Amino acid sequence: MSKTGILDKLNVFRQIIKDNGGLGKSIYVWYKTDDMKTGDLVGEDKFGNKYYQNNYYFFGRNRWAIYSPEKHLDYDASQIPPEWHRWLQYISDVPPVGDGAPPRAKWMADYYENRTATSKAYVPYSTVKPKIQSWSPNQS
Amino acid sequence: MATLKLFCAKKSGENLLKNLVRPTSIVQSRSHWKDVGQQKENMAWNDIALRAAKASFFTEIMKGFGMTFAQQLKEPATINYPFEKGPLSPRFRGEHALRRYPSGEERCIACKLCEAICPAQAITIEAEPRADGSRRTTRYDIDMTKCIYCGFCQEACPVDAIVEGPNFEYSTETREELLYNKEKLLSNGDKWEVEIAANLQADYLYR
Repeated sequence: MSKTGILDKLNVFRQIIKDNGGLGKSIYVWYKTDDMKTGDLVGEDKFGNKYYQNNYYFFGRNRWAIYSPEKHLDYDASQIPPEWHRWLQYISDVPPVGDGAPPRAKWMADYYENRTATSKAYVPYSTVKPKIQSWSPNQS
Repeated sequence: MATLKLFCAKKSGENLLKNLVRPTSIVQSRSHWKDVGQQKENMAWNDIALRAAKASFFTEIMKGFGMTFAQQLKEPATINYPFEKGPLSPRFRGEHALRRYPSGEERCIACKLCEAICPAQAITIEAEPRADGSRRTTRYDIDMTKCIYCGFCQEACPVDAIVEGPNFEYSTETREELLYNKEKLLSNGDKWEVEIAANLQADYLYR
């Protein structure tokens, strides 16, 4: 893909429409992500988020995630699991697919998104016994 | 040389000299010329108003449209955040986590060095011997609203138990959700250990 000139830009645009699967789907992608891009599918995590890369775009825009269609517009940045977070944030250039997948121990927990403002939100509690027993007037 | 001097002479004497010298020498006639310098604009009020109107209602607007169109074709300088994310260092100091040994045993031995070094005094630890005799924390609270993310706690830790992980997307709706206790920190560790371990591995030569 060449980079400059109006005709080249139109050609890139045509390619993007084609790769997104037609005009209708492209408009849906644009509505959901405010952007229309084309790139290679690098992988998919177990939550259904898909990860793409295209070095035609400059560093910082060349890797992106399309959140799971199940979530529709309830996508959140914290839905990226740690393995892909590392790749998406450019800490590592190796995507966690195939040999790049990091080893997992049994005790490692499944990832879940930031649960604030839901019924599953973390509420702090004390992890020790209270050090003073309050006096109750009914007790003798 | 003579011709040059004549050429540089004042305009008033030029014609007279030319007529005197012409019969005896060959002199280039410079009667035809073209002014390429800045033209003096007509400074009548009417003309000034017309020029200003033309500039502001046509020329500048067209320039603006041109600039807008040029920017449409340019690649944006911003990133489209929840879909694209900026580069991060493996040393990034984000949300805290308590790690475990590969066997699943928690690392923290309640030495309280992190509590002592914390400049914001955000860490509270209480410890007592466990049933098997090993010393462990019963309370490990971090007040994330106090924390200044200096990373001293992970530097102080002798067993690499408390670390600042790569996660910064833990914003909460209420303030109390940021008062982390030991269970929350351990669960952070269990969730993020995959990445924390890889980041420590990437950086171990420099520490």
